[in-house]
Formats: sequence, structure tokens, C-alpha cells
Amino acid sequence: MSSNAIVVVSWGEGRDGLPAGAVEVLTLGRKVAAAAGADLAWLVIGPASDKLAETAGQYGVASLERIEDAKLESFAPDTLVAAVSQYCESNNPKALLFNQIEETRQIAPRVAGRIGGGVVTNVIDIDASGDLKVTATAFGGDTNVVYELSGASTFAIAVNSTALVAEPAEAPTNPAAESVSVDLSSVEERFAVTQRPQAEGPRLEDADIIVSGGRGLGTPENYKLIQELAAALGGLPGASRPIVDEGWIDSSHQVGLTGKITRPALYLAAGISGASQHMAGCSAAKVLVAINKDEAASIFRYARYGIVGDCLEILPELIKAAKS
Amino acid sequence: MRIVVCAKEVLDPDAVNNYALAGRLEIGDDGKTITQSAIPQLINGFDEQGIEAALKLRDAGADFTLTVVSIGSDQKSLLKHSAAMGADEIVALRTEATDLDASAVANILTAYIQSSGGADLVLCGRQASDDDQGVVPALIAEALGMALVPIARDLELKSDTLSVTRVTADGDEVVEGAFPAVVTVSNELGDPRFPTAKGKMAARKKKPTVVNVDELGLAAEALAPKVKLTRQFVPEIQGNCEFLTGSPADVAQKLIENLRAESVIQ
Ligand SMILES: Cc1cc2nc3c(=O)[nH]c(=O)nc-3n(C[C@H](O)[C@H](O)[C@H](O)COP(=O)(O)OP(=O)(O)OC[C@H]3O[C@@H](n4cnc5c(N)ncnc54)[C@H](O)[C@@H]3O)c2cc1C
Ligand SMILES: Nc1ncnc2c1ncn2[C@@H]1O[C@H](COP(=O)(O)O)[C@@H](O)[C@H]1O
Repeated sequence: MSSNAIVVVSWGEGRDGLPAGAVEVLTLGRKVAAAAGADLAWLVIGPASDKLAETAGQYGVASLERIEDAKLESFAPDTLVAAVSQYCESNNPKALLFNQIEETRQIAPRVAGRIGGGVVTNVIDIDASGDLKVTATAFGGDTNVVYELSGASTFAIAVNSTALVAEPAEAPTNPAAESVSVDLSSVEERFAVTQRPQAEGPRLEDADIIVSGGRGLGTPENYKLIQELAAALGGLPGASRPIVDEGWIDSSHQVGLTGKITRPALYLAAGISGASQHMAGCSAAKVLVAINKDEAASIFRYARYGIVGDCLEILPELIKAAKS
Repeated sequence: MRIVVCAKEVLDPDAVNNYALAGRLEIGDDGKTITQSAIPQLINGFDEQGIEAALKLRDAGADFTLTVVSIGSDQKSLLKHSAAMGADEIVALRTEATDLDASAVANILTAYIQSSGGADLVLCGRQASDDDQGVVPALIAEALGMALVPIARDLELKSDTLSVTRVTADGDEVVEGAFPAVVTVSNELGDPRFPTAKGKMAARKKKPTVVNVDELGLAAEALAPKVKLTRQFVPEIQGNCEFLTGSPADVAQKLIENLRAESVIQ
């Protein structure tokens, strides 16, 4: 791989066998590489499906690079940081683009620190016509900021892929998969997992339908209306942070900047005001429905359908209508 | 044992939200700074929870000195609050620079920690509620050569190891490893305690240690920003909300019909 490339970095196998968010980030990567006059590479670490080469071609990747090592069979942060850092030292890319999942938050900045690069997260757009300029959200999304990146040879950029739409390349490529050699023999994970997460059923991140409740529900008992409507619609229940902090429901249901970043076909929010930090986790929904007793609530600015009223009166009717 | 908590002062995010919700958030003539002087500065909420995490370890019987350190030009109230909560030592790293990026902030905090006797545990917030970046702790971990354990809801000291319950996308995970380490704290840890009257009295007598960033002996390149903020703006939200009206039963019926017609639900 020539130096100064734009490199999309992925690991893990998502629902369709591909790393989560990879095709969205590849779409942005292709645009950035074209503007920068650079090659687009895709660095995939650890086990991956057979679909990889085909997808790389569809998305215009010039070179598909693989790091495979027994130590990378499952997510191993110290090893992953070492692998990506070694890759950077021998290939000197201009930018590493990551899909921003929770794991990325420990990998991207550590790689930047290790190789003396720069790092930015929450990125929603990249302009590569001159020096790299990236647009990121700040204050939960109340503002956007533009950062200019210069003074380091490599930048690690974590992209919020829910804000992007995947688009295959007009001219597909035919990249050969190359194996990248790294030496991970001396790397040991400093913290060992003593208890794995007990994932309970499907994840909000993958849900097509989400029904969420907020402080407007009034009492913890009323959260069952959210659960019932979610079940009636074949979806999953979500929540705003205050009711998670209050213990009405556990934190695996929290939607937002510091919770789940979701992208459902339908997001129905009841008794949620629409603070930017909540919307950061659901504004990519195709159809957003808001129920709020305050007609001036911010959530209506994002909604496709709005209902002004008491959610405690409307939710039971919705449950009936959904079941009929 | 020494625990260092890194704490940042930020604009009160709830006040920023309220201005944003009212459509009145203003960016100054420089095109990058929120100007409303009525928005107070506060300790970043996750950093306050970092202090709380340390105090919980103390409640559980751990013996350590607790240092809270903050970079900025005027950290008095943040540090007083930290002392009132229970910090043994409060440290202001003073600089007038306004263009420090995450790497520079991490380099300064690292240099301070190294020059003041090191740390067994560095606690940070999972992210600062102004820039939302969540990268400084990882950069500190790399600079200090420490392990990074992000997004903790609970910490437990074992005889010579640290056990951390982390919030992950798949649920809680428990990890265990040796000191030293950098741990970032999330809101799942629970609300930080209020300072007691006794704590406030003691804080009044406590003087912050003030260190000028120039005294830390950092090379110019360690402070030069690689990530430069050039513009900040309030994004526009395109509303096209269709309001459904009628009795609760009517609106419910209309909504379900519309969603079915659009094949959003079955
Ligand atoms: C750094 C940071 C990170 C954050 N991360 C997140 C996050 O990940 N997720 C998140 O959700 N929040 C997050 N927050 C909090 C966020 O800023 C808001 O405070 C929160 O989203 C508000 O939750 P809410 O809408 O349930 O409550 P409120 O803002 O109190 O809104 C309640 C709403 O319910 C309406 N209501 C009241 N009664 C009824 C009724 N009977 N029927 C219908 N409507 C009614 C009210 O009109 C109001 O609009 C974060 C904040 C910070 C500072
Ligand atoms: N100016 C600062 N002074 C002290 N600690 C800081 C500062 N900036 C960031 N931090 C620490 O790094 C964490 C993450 O910040 P950030 O990477 O900016 O989101 C914060 O929660 C603090 O613990």
C-alpha cells in the first residue's frame, strides 16, 4: 500500500457478516480518498466472512488488507492497538477511518497516542480538498464543530456511521486480499475479562422498531406501557437517560450520546423532550413519532408524526390499535 | 497508593441545551465560541463521578491519597468543590492557551502526573460534555504506558489488582488487571455525593497547588495543536412534523394506519 492512503479500519462480524457500519464508512472513505487524490484501503482485523472481497470491490477499495492472528479471534484491545500501530508505522497512512462503536473509543485514540498522530471522534463529515477538515458534533449535537487536521502524519478519525448512507462505487474494483504481517508475539492483554456480558436477546442497535419512554411517563410503573407497545409492534423498548439513572430500567435500554446509537425504521418517543444528547441516539431513524404534552417540545422538530397529549392516555390506545 | 482524578471545567450542558431548545444558542464573532455569559461553568459531570468512584473505594476501606487536577485559567470553584467532596490535594495546571487539543491536554496531564510522584490509578470522565470527544484518557494511558479501562460503572480493589465493571453494548463486563491503570467513569456509576458541611469547612482551608504549564518542561511540539477548532455552528434541524389530532383513540388509530400504509410496521 502506498503511503498517505485513506484506510478504513474494521473488525468484528455484524448481523450481515460484515463489520458493523463498514459499508457506510467505506462510502465516506471513497469520497475522502478521491478528494485527497489518495488510495482507499480497507484494513480488516481478525476473522471475517467470505463476503469481504466482494464488498471491497463494490465499494471501490483499491487494496484489501487483512491482519489475522490467533490473539485477535475476539476483541482484544491491547493486541488490536499494537496491530494497527504496527500497520501505521510501516504504511504511514494519511487517515484511519473507524466506525464509531463503543470499542472504537478505546482503539482509535490509543493508536493515535502510540504513533504520535491526532484523533477526532463523533465525526459526521470530512473535507479532504486541502488539509483534512472534519465536522463533528459537540455538546451532544447542540453544536457542530469543524476541526482542521495538520501537523501529524496520521489522523485517527471515528465516524458516526448512523449519519451516513452506504452507496456502492460507480466503478467497482477488483482488490486482491493482502495479508499484512505484524508481530504480536510479545503483546499481552493487561486486563483480562473475568465475566463476559450476558447479552439478553436482541440489541437496540439492530432493532427495526424501538418504542422509548422518558421522564414524561411520570412513574416507573408506567414504563410497562412502553414495553407493551414495543411488544405489540414487534420492537424493543428504549429509554432516555434520566429514567435509567433513576433505575426504572437498566442501562442497556438507554438511547443517546452515551447510550445506544440506533438506526431503526421506526422510533416512537413518549414523554421525551428531545435533548440533543438523546437525539444523538435516534435521529437517524427513518420515521420518528413523538408523543409529548408540550406542543413546543424540541422532539417535534425531528418528528415525522407528532401527537400533542398525555402519553398515559395515548399509549394504551396505541397498544389496542397495534394489536387489532 | 495515589489516585489522580482529571477534571475539566465545562459550560453547563443543561443550560446549553435550554438555549439550543429555545433556538437562542449564539456563537460569537470569532465563529467558534458560545458567547452566552449566563451559562455557568461547572465540573464535567463524568469527572465529578470520577471523584465519586474514588470516594467509594475509600468507603470500601482502600487507603490512598486523592488528587484532583484540572487544566485551565481559573479552576478555583471546581477545585474547591473537589476538596469539599473529599480530595486530599487539589491542583490547578495554569495556562492561558485556548487552542490546546486533546493530545496537548493529555501531554500536560501526563507531565504533571510524572513530575508529582506518579499515580497508581488515574480516573477520568468517559468524555467531556462540551467537546464529547472521550479521547484524553486514552492518550494519557498511552503516554504513561498504562492500561486503559473505559466506561466503568463500578470499581473494586482486590489485594493487588483492580476489578472493573464496564458498560458495553452487550451488557456489563467485568475485567481485572494490575495497577497502574487509567479508568474512565460513566454515569451508570450513580450520582456523586453532595459535600457535607464538614467537607465544605475543610475545603475552605485547603489551598490549591498551582503549577504553571510552562514549568512542566514540555517541548513546544507537545503543546502544538494537531486538531484545531476553526468553526462552531448551531446545526439546523429540518422539521416536517405532521401533527395528528383528535381523541386518544382517534390519534392512535390514525398513527397505526399511517405507519401500516407506509409499511413501517405490519
Ligand atoms: C454529557 C451528557 C450525556 C447525556 N447522554 C444522554 C443519553 O445518552 N441519552 C439521553 O436520553 N440523555 C442523555 N443526557 C441527558 C439529556 O441532556 C436530557 O437531560 C435527557 O435526555 C432528558 O430526558 P427526558 O426527555 O426523558 O426528560 P425531560 O427533559 O424531563 O423531558 C420530559 C418530557 O416529557 C414531557 N411530558 C411530561 N409529562 C408528560 C405526559 N404525561 N405525556 C406526554 N409528555 C409528557 C415533557 O413535556 C417533557 O418534554 C446526557 C446529558 C449530558 C450532559
Ligand atoms: N482541561 C482538562 N483538565 C483536566 N482533565 C481533563 C481536561 N480535559 C479533559 N480532561 C479529562 O479527560 C476526560 C475526557 O475528555 P475529552 O477527551 O475532552 O472528552 C475528561 O472527562 C477529563 O477527565
